[in-house]
Amino acid sequence: MNTPYGELLVALRPELCLVVGALVALAVDLPKSSRSPTQRLQISSTIGAIAIIAALVCGLDAGLPGQLFSGVFNLDMLAQASRAGVLGLALLTLGITAGTSRLRHPAEFVAIILFATAGFTLMAVAQQLLLAFLALELASLSLYVLAGFDKTRPESAEAALKYFLFGGVSAAFMLFGFSLIYGITGSIELPEIAHRLAMTDTSPLLMVALVMVLVAFGFKAAAAPFHLWAPDVYEGAPAPASALIASASKLAGFTLFLRLLWPGLGAVSGNLTGTAGWLPVVALIAVASMLLSNLAALAQSNVRRLLAYSAIAHAGALLLGVIAAGTSGPSPVFYYAATYGLATVGAFGVIAVIERTGPCHSLSDLAGLRTRSPLLTGCLFVFILSLAGIPPLAGFVGKFVVFSAALKLGGLAGWMALLAIFLSAIALYYYLLILKQALVVPAAAPTSAPLRVPPVAAFALLITAGLIVLLGLWPSLLLGLF
Amino acid sequence: MYFPASHLWIIPALPLVAAAIGALVPRSGRALASGAAIASMVAAFFVSCLALHTALADPAAHAAHNFAWFDVGSGAMRLGWLLDPLTAFMCVMVTFVSSLIFIFSLGYMKEDANFKQFFCFLSLFAAAMLGLLVANSLLLLFICWELVGLASYLLIGFWFHKPSAAAAAKKAFITTRIGDLGFLIGLLWLYDSTGSLLFFDGGHGVLEAATLTALTGKTLVCCGLTVSTAIGLLIFCGAVGKSGQFPLHVWLPDAMEGPTPVSALIHAATMVAAGVFLIARVYPLMSADQVLANVPLHALTVVAFIGAITALLGACIAVAQNDIKRILAFSTVSQLGYMMLALGVGSWTAAIFHLLTHAFFKALLFLGAGSVIHAAHHEQDIRRLGGLGAKMKITFATFAIGMMALSGVPFLFSGFWSKEGILHAAHEWDVSHLPLYAGLAAVVLTAFYMTRLMAETFFGKSRSHESGHAHENSAVMTVPLVLLAACAILLSLLAWPSPWLQHQLDPSAHSEPGGISLMVLSIVLVAVGIGSGWAIYGRKPRATEASPDPLETAAPDIIAALAARLGFDELYAATVGRLNSGFASLADFMERWIWGGAVTLLARFGEFTGVVNRETDENTLNGGFDSVSHQIRGTGRAYSRAQTGDAHGYMRFIALGFVVLMLFVMLGGSR
Repeated sequence: MNTPYGELLVALRPELCLVVGALVALAVDLPKSSRSPTQRLQISSTIGAIAIIAALVCGLDAGLPGQLFSGVFNLDMLAQASRAGVLGLALLTLGITAGTSRLRHPAEFVAIILFATAGFTLMAVAQQLLLAFLALELASLSLYVLAGFDKTRPESAEAALKYFLFGGVSAAFMLFGFSLIYGITGSIELPEIAHRLAMTDTSPLLMVALVMVLVAFGFKAAAAPFHLWAPDVYEGAPAPASALIASASKLAGFTLFLRLLWPGLGAVSGNLTGTAGWLPVVALIAVASMLLSNLAALAQSNVRRLLAYSAIAHAGALLLGVIAAGTSGPSPVFYYAATYGLATVGAFGVIAVIERTGPCHSLSDLAGLRTRSPLLTGCLFVFILSLAGIPPLAGFVGKFVVFSAALKLGGLAGWMALLAIFLSAIALYYYLLILKQALVVPAAAPTSAPLRVPPVAAFALLITAGLIVLLGLWPSLLLGLF
Repeated sequence: MYFPASHLWIIPALPLVAAAIGALVPRSGRALASGAAIASMVAAFFVSCLALHTALADPAAHAAHNFAWFDVGSGAMRLGWLLDPLTAFMCVMVTFVSSLIFIFSLGYMKEDANFKQFFCFLSLFAAAMLGLLVANSLLLLFICWELVGLASYLLIGFWFHKPSAAAAAKKAFITTRIGDLGFLIGLLWLYDSTGSLLFFDGGHGVLEAATLTALTGKTLVCCGLTVSTAIGLLIFCGAVGKSGQFPLHVWLPDAMEGPTPVSALIHAATMVAAGVFLIARVYPLMSADQVLANVPLHALTVVAFIGAITALLGACIAVAQNDIKRILAFSTVSQLGYMMLALGVGSWTAAIFHLLTHAFFKALLFLGAGSVIHAAHHEQDIRRLGGLGAKMKITFATFAIGMMALSGVPFLFSGFWSKEGILHAAHEWDVSHLPLYAGLAAVVLTAFYMTRLMAETFFGKSRSHESGHAHENSAVMTVPLVLLAACAILLSLLAWPSPWLQHQLDPSAHSEPGGISLMVLSIVLVAVGIGSGWAIYGRKPRATEASPDPLETAAPDIIAALAARLGFDELYAATVGRLNSGFASLADFMERWIWGGAVTLLARFGEFTGVVNRETDENTLNGGFDSVSHQIRGTGRAYSRAQTGDAHGYMRFIALGFVVLMLFVMLGGSR
């Protein structure tokens, strides 16, 4: 067989850029030097930013070649858009890191962000179970390290350990599920699997395989009941790591599973009225996520845990979009995941800036932000309202397209959309609690000093907020892609 | 040079950028904010001239550029820009007059602390108005229309620390909103029945023949009106509110509470012109029912009568006012009535011509009044002014030109020609001659009250300390006056010797020379008005501010009623206002006790379930682990033990979730 390695090299240029960038960042930092940690951070994040931008340019340059390397990769619109989205979110995360981080080994942090990003971009383009698993593991292992990177805080280590154990078990489930699928269909390539499944009847063994894959999916998406790691990790990990876990990782994960579930396993989706398949399971997970998280978030007083529960709630809404993607295409889910990613990166960015000078755990740590830094308050205002889904911000349009896609399906999906709309109203309450602290409540005496926002972080936050407004006013920029 | 319609957005975008700059600079950035506003306006003026040049190359073409805003359902919501002579003439007028008003404001507002904010609002106002002019979609027009309303609210209430200014801003906003409600309903109805809101769209726009025929073909069951008549009347509601037509004219005189440049902008270039422009823009829709003879009512008939009533009413009330700006305000009400009258009797070109000439001389009069007020230390009562003619020569001369243009002094002044066009059109109207008579009566009254204003302000002796110490203002305020005065005269050339402007606006309209007898009659009426005004007020000027008004001595009841503006405000307060407060208290009660109670109940329930959920989630699941790990850390044992505990707790849950989902699938599959 004549393997087209040249084609492979061209298709994987973005990943190559990322890996080379990571290695260069490490190498530059390797020799002992008298540079201060801040300078080292600046150098390595500049290298990282150049690598990501180069990857973006290469990715956009590649066009839409479609199936590559005998079907291992599929560079269609969804893949390319997700790749660009993931890279953009990683770049914003890097901007926040550069502005705020005070870690002792900045080059390693940047390098691992780049490795994780390489994993995400591979997840976005993979069309083969083996590559999908490898990409997922590359991303996950990098994220475990990022979560535990702050060695000065025990919470960070705890978060990393929990994340790692949970991730390990779910990876085992996924691998088990993949191997069962391979056993049933005799192939690891999605088009081939779809072809075989269309010809065979559903068997209990297949059901076991599907549920195992969905368990891993539930972990990756932080959907109930596999969400337990999320609040601990979001709370303990360094803020930029949390931002990456909540945004780029989620977008890549949803792209991968969208491709796996609909084009790959679409033949055994079943339907919501009771035929066996993966659709009812996804529906159950979606409803559980939305109900549990929105109610649990009401009683939260910790900002990061609140954002974690918000992430679980959004995962539920995204799963609803996955259900609807069979008829409406991937654009609603992609739009939702991308804009949600922007809003969370921004929210964690604001937290990161606040944490430069003081803690940002409980909601009351945000008190008086209005007088301390109008810029941060303005940005936070946009991010939180977008998360809550207030027009004209992107969060509203995301909810709108996903819910309307589900309503078009009708039946149980329609009822789920109505439930989601109802729960959005409840969610507004806890989102406004954050804004109330930031905008209304005056600062307590020891923390009322004005905050200085580092220029890089300010730039990244303003870009993020601007994108949210722009995509909200002009949703066709993303929705029109598909 | 060719200017494509797809680039029209530049015209409103320029002042919008200036508004953004004004909003973002700190309070000390006065020079930057005002400089950006004026520069953007002048630039917009040149771009508008370019657009006018392009539009006149082919006056009958409606060059439109449409684009999709967002997709909804199977279709797309489309917006667009439209370039035709109507848009282009209006843009040139708005940008030119606004530029001069902006420059004038430099001098007028220079002591104000919120100087830069003022220019930010002015730019926003102009941007909204220009956006309204270039829109090729009723929706885009409506959006800008509302922005105009917002900007007027901000500017009328600019001195919001004065309670009267805050109240006037609120009144303007709410009164126009009543009209806008009708407009909105009309807009929705139009979209519902045609599926489009674009004016021109290659044969599918709402102003194009195919759509109009479809609209006139349908009639309402209840009253026999055609759908186009009903929609036209609803859209007219918006114009009634915005252009201060009877019965929603009450906000316009109160809007005088804003700084004088704002009054000039509202009365000349931006706000009130919007209503007349709207009707002119949708004129094909308004006049679509004219071809049908057997309908109970034509939309334009209503427009004509509302216009006639407004023209007469405004002129009557203006006679009895004593505040220099209020007289001018009611004169605007009256002149807008003329424009509506012209629209109603079928000559929208005459209405637009009068709109353009009126914009120049009304801006001139308001800025002149502003100059007087600025010089006389914010004294606005004409009884306390007097004798300013000798002290402020430039202001006096330019104001006199404005006054003669407004009164319609023949031949030399633009106001005469545009008014003549309207009277002529009213004369030709075959439905009724009542509007013509109202218009002729208003001609006398206009000449009369303007003569009174001139005589009281500029002649005689100064009757107060303030006017005694007045002196001419600096060049930044007088130069705009001179330029506007020149325009007030030069614009005659648009109509004389041939009606060039009207022909450019609507090449298809046949224009025949006006009847000589009508022209002679109106000249005589103007002479009567000016003569009687001079006889009563000019020959024997008022001696002190307390000396009685000759008219008031002659007919105290009528003048008192007119001075109280015929009690419209009181009437509205007693009816609409009281009804509204009644509703408000009812809604308040419902909100507080019924809905509020239900919401509180739900919220309490939600909070309760949230607490229960958190307790189970954190204490039962996490809490177990936390306490175990605390214990372990406390005793200092190896961390591997914690790892084990952690794994158990969480992994058990994964396994449990897996089993539950498996059961679910299996049971679901067997069903």
